[in-house]
Amino acid sequence: MGTEARRKERLDRGVKVRTEKLYAVSGWQEITYLVLPRLALILGLLILPLVMPSMYWQKVLCSMGVFALLAIAFDFLAHYVGLVCLGGALFTGVGAYISGLLSSSTGLSPALTIPIATLGGGLICTLLLLPCLPLRGVYFAIVTIIYPLAIVRILTALNIWGGTEGISALATFPNIWVEVYLILGMVLIVLFALRRLVNEDYGLVLRGIKDNDQAVRASGINVTFYKAQAVFITAAIGCFCGAYLSCLYGWCGLSLFALDFSILPIAATVMGGLGTLVGPLLGACILTPLSEVLRAIGTWRIVIYCVVLLSFIVFKPEGLMNWIQRKYHQFEHWEKI
Amino acid sequence: MDILEVKDLMVFYENAIAINNVSIKCETGKVTGIFGSNSAGKSTLMYAISGIMMDMKRKEEMKGGERITVVGEMRLNGEDIMDIKPNDRARKGVVLCPERRRIFPESSVLENLKIGGYLASRSQAQETLKYVFTLFPALKDMKGKEGGFLSGGEQQMLAIGRALMAQPKLLLLDEPLLGLSPAMETRLAQAIKKINEQIGITILVAEQYARPILPVIDYGYVLENGGKVLEGTAQELIDNPDVKEAYFGV
Repeated sequence: MGTEARRKERLDRGVKVRTEKLYAVSGWQEITYLVLPRLALILGLLILPLVMPSMYWQKVLCSMGVFALLAIAFDFLAHYVGLVCLGGALFTGVGAYISGLLSSSTGLSPALTIPIATLGGGLICTLLLLPCLPLRGVYFAIVTIIYPLAIVRILTALNIWGGTEGISALATFPNIWVEVYLILGMVLIVLFALRRLVNEDYGLVLRGIKDNDQAVRASGINVTFYKAQAVFITAAIGCFCGAYLSCLYGWCGLSLFALDFSILPIAATVMGGLGTLVGPLLGACILTPLSEVLRAIGTWRIVIYCVVLLSFIVFKPEGLMNWIQRKYHQFEHWEKI
Repeated sequence: MDILEVKDLMVFYENAIAINNVSIKCETGKVTGIFGSNSAGKSTLMYAISGIMMDMKRKEEMKGGERITVVGEMRLNGEDIMDIKPNDRARKGVVLCPERRRIFPESSVLENLKIGGYLASRSQAQETLKYVFTLFPALKDMKGKEGGFLSGGEQQMLAIGRALMAQPKLLLLDEPLLGLSPAMETRLAQAIKKINEQIGITILVAEQYARPILPVIDYGYVLENGGKVLEGTAQELIDNPDVKEAYFGV
């Protein structure tokens, strides 16, 4: 507590206040203010593959899209439903194996296996997690992280579905442009769809469940059913990522149950800003290429990666996106008291 | 001699002003009351005096939330305590018994009291524990019961007991009568008086509903929308027609 006789005042920009109402379309300034960030995001993502110097970096974009999707899904479930889910690995693994098994047994093309794996995998994961939906906080997180670990052991022990070798020679995408634009397009669709969803009445119920599920239950709403729906949405997104990866590699195996798929999205979310949905995308856009660039310096990669993450948690726990949004919508000035 | 002197205190939550130029004094060995309706700034004042506000400010800063600004002067026995951390203020004798009790629900009554006695020496703790049990005999019978299972009134007794265990020189009670039955209200008001008379602790009590507290205070302030609108001895407050209407419902 200082004794300075002035304080920093934070005010909404005039244009922000205007654009909240009907006046949003009153002039070019207002329209630009609203459209610019969204357009920059969409165009940026769409142009990104075109400016990449090599095929290698386009592949990096593909994995960046996967982590971005997983991170957005994690953010949705953690911040809007209150379930901290470490099940990214479960979702990708299940999605990859469904698509892989379908492809190897029936020879279906990715255009069919991916949607089937997305919906079917979402359903399976939701059923797997259904018994622990009443659990909250750390219990739910533990259960979601146990599943992928257990499934890997079961697959190894039973030696089914390719065992430790995995299933190879699956149908792949026709060319790199399909690969990269499929995932980036999906990122945009999921991002805007979820953003719309959480602001609808449906999202209101979900946020209510996060804040106080007993009060929501007292309003006559079936909390577990709503939670299951939210988990299905998240799981379906994760399974899409898994199915996509299996088609991208033409192979599916135990490494698609790797904990990277659980942990990296959380790192991206922490960096980008929890609760913004677009923040996790930003985090993934920074972290995935960063880890590729750092690959050149070998083992130090992990150290630098950890330092970046730690400093974000310690110095900027609100994340990048919250900070950027505040700067965009508000201005500050000193005021005498 | 005033144990606490707050001068021109201002607290902002972002751009909203919660406390506007409030100056209050707590005379040593007396009970001082602060009255006001919801959003008058009672709790904010209590948090500012106990220093909890510094902690809230830091947490809000870290998550990029509301910016809290505190300006003014605060002196404890003549010493400036504006920049002293809340735990060090407790060490100096400013102990807050927070609103809504905030007892440790999973610890037993005895454990709750022992946690409160962290700052006390062994003999002090034993003595105070004995005193708390004579002050609130009800607590003695449920020593082993978990705090969360206590009724509202018992929880409030426990919260006051826990604050006493920290050996306060200035005890801050934030809405001690919140949500209690009229009978319990009178009992607690009497207990506040007893604490003040028997062990000579200076007390600052903030309360919405003045009727049960007014008889036990020596001096009182009335806050409204963050500003001080009235002050005076208990009798002066009782005689004031505005207070009568607003806080007694006469």
